[in-house]
Amino acid sequence: MHAGPETLAVADEHLARPAQSYWNPYLAGFGLGLTLLAAFVIMGRGLGASGAFSSLVAAGTEAIAPEHARTNDFYAGYLGNGTQSPLLDWLVFEVVGVLAGGFLSGTLAGRTRLTVERGDHISNRARYAFAFLGGSLMGFGAKLARGCTSGQALTGGALLNVGSWAFMLAVFAGGYAMAYVMRRQWQ
Amino acid sequence: MNAPFFKFGLFGDHLSLVVAFLIGIAFGFFLERAGFGSARKLAAQFYLTDLTVFKVMFTAIVTAMVGVFYLSWMGLVDLSLVYVSSTYLLPQIAGGLILGIGFVVGGYCPGTSCVAGATGRIDAFFFLGGMVGGIVIFGELYPLLREFYTATPMGAVTIPDLLNLPYGFVVLAVILMAVGGFAGATWVERTMAARKGAA
Amino acid sequence: MKMPRLTPTRGAALLLIILGIVGLFAGDPYHRSTATVDTRELAAIVERQVDHVTAAELADWIIQGRTDFRLIDLRTEEEYASYHIPQAERVPITALMDYGLQRNEKIVLYSEGGIHSAQAWMLLKAQGYRGVYMLLGGLDAWTDEVLFPGLPADASAQERAAFERAVQVSRFFGGTPREGAQERSVTSAMPPPPPPQAVTPSTAKPKKRKEGC
Repeated sequence: MHAGPETLAVADEHLARPAQSYWNPYLAGFGLGLTLLAAFVIMGRGLGASGAFSSLVAAGTEAIAPEHARTNDFYAGYLGNGTQSPLLDWLVFEVVGVLAGGFLSGTLAGRTRLTVERGDHISNRARYAFAFLGGSLMGFGAKLARGCTSGQALTGGALLNVGSWAFMLAVFAGGYAMAYVMRRQWQ
Repeated sequence: MNAPFFKFGLFGDHLSLVVAFLIGIAFGFFLERAGFGSARKLAAQFYLTDLTVFKVMFTAIVTAMVGVFYLSWMGLVDLSLVYVSSTYLLPQIAGGLILGIGFVVGGYCPGTSCVAGATGRIDAFFFLGGMVGGIVIFGELYPLLREFYTATPMGAVTIPDLLNLPYGFVVLAVILMAVGGFAGATWVERTMAARKGAA
Repeated sequence: MKMPRLTPTRGAALLLIILGIVGLFAGDPYHRSTATVDTRELAAIVERQVDHVTAAELADWIIQGRTDFRLIDLRTEEEYASYHIPQAERVPITALMDYGLQRNEKIVLYSEGGIHSAQAWMLLKAQGYRGVYMLLGGLDAWTDEVLFPGLPADASAQERAAFERAVQVSRFFGGTPREGAQERSVTSAMPPPPPPQAVTPSTAKPKKRKEGC
């Protein structure tokens, strides 16, 4: 079933409840913290996101070019000895949950709709380009840092991990440094 | 004590994947509740107009930090079994800077882009595509990057360990920093709003 | 002076600070080098004799090709190099805690006679390892019962039948059964150590469990 303009219009009607306002940030943060704590207590590990995409890339590379995947140390780490799919990974299942949870919350609050998040002063196309570029920087940086804001900043932050705190400061530094350059996109 | 439950064999690998899914649902739910499905709200952090990112992140960090600290103190959780990743100082700082730049350019981070994509943000789809691309680039360049990637290893080290301070002392310091930060953030938001209103 | 109003947010912040101050009295949350022992539980385990496996059982597991357990040799490097039970990993007792054993794994410990394995068993149980077992009688029992099984002259028919099986097992591991009730002569050689490419844990476990982001 493909989403033609009629389908989108119908969907829009269903979801066109007035969007609720967001939660108090401290309350949302508290809920997030309890979720992280649950991961600590139940699994003995923290949350994450970028690792799931690494597994995805490794699985994809193995499907497309298995020889290359095995000889490259990076992919080989995710493939193990080949008996188990890299997608049978804790983080992969967690990220699928994130998709579900995000959708659930957004739909309940009337915030789910097909739209583009951008400032008023750039076009959709430019926004897509920046999103793609930003995403690739993110992907690269997350691998270099061995994590992203969920895995390193939140998890490592709560555990007082030195590298994670250094990472967190660097993220804020990089973001603020770049903010002036990117201001057209967001205003 | 028999927590972390998984490390004590309460359930196996297959059930842990179900746990992953459930925890992920909670994770995504709270991210969206905070408003992180919106790139504009996320990016606003870096323009000092909306410091929700800081408030949510540090509330979460402090909650989990205090929670696990107290549970360990009460003997309910074996903290030594909670995974602490190894620190590689230089690549993590470099990666953090790149990630920060990517955050402002792209408007999302990996977790929030999932939430945004799940709620229909088309730009989030492009972000996710780009992220896969960035990982592929990293993977292909890995032989060249490996030396830098493994530079400055420090092992799994915590701030109390590094600075030779009592753990509880650092916990209190982080709490005070966070609370002070929240007060400061509220002040900054008000000032920026007033400035915008006056302009 | 008028007190500022105590909103829920401010109240939460205050509570947090109080928790932080109280936390100053906590010690190291990592409780390094200390462990708690449930003495009654351990005593019950020892009494029920579910703390060990026999040499014959272990031999059967290896012949069946089971890889659902870790076999740990607690002896020295030289002793390990001259002979070790197939599948055994050498780990000195001091390195045992940091070796990366999972608490829900089945772990079989052995030493020369069994004393060190009993001590290591206690240490691991105190750290919360669930499935730790000693090899009853240690390598001495392995040598006597598995590698060089003997049959007394006045053995019953049942014992003879069991001996036939033991002979097969012994040959599998490169040993030689003894005739009659003779003691194993000190000059009868131990079989050569298993080749290094015996089943190693890295091939047994499918993927290094990644716990990072």
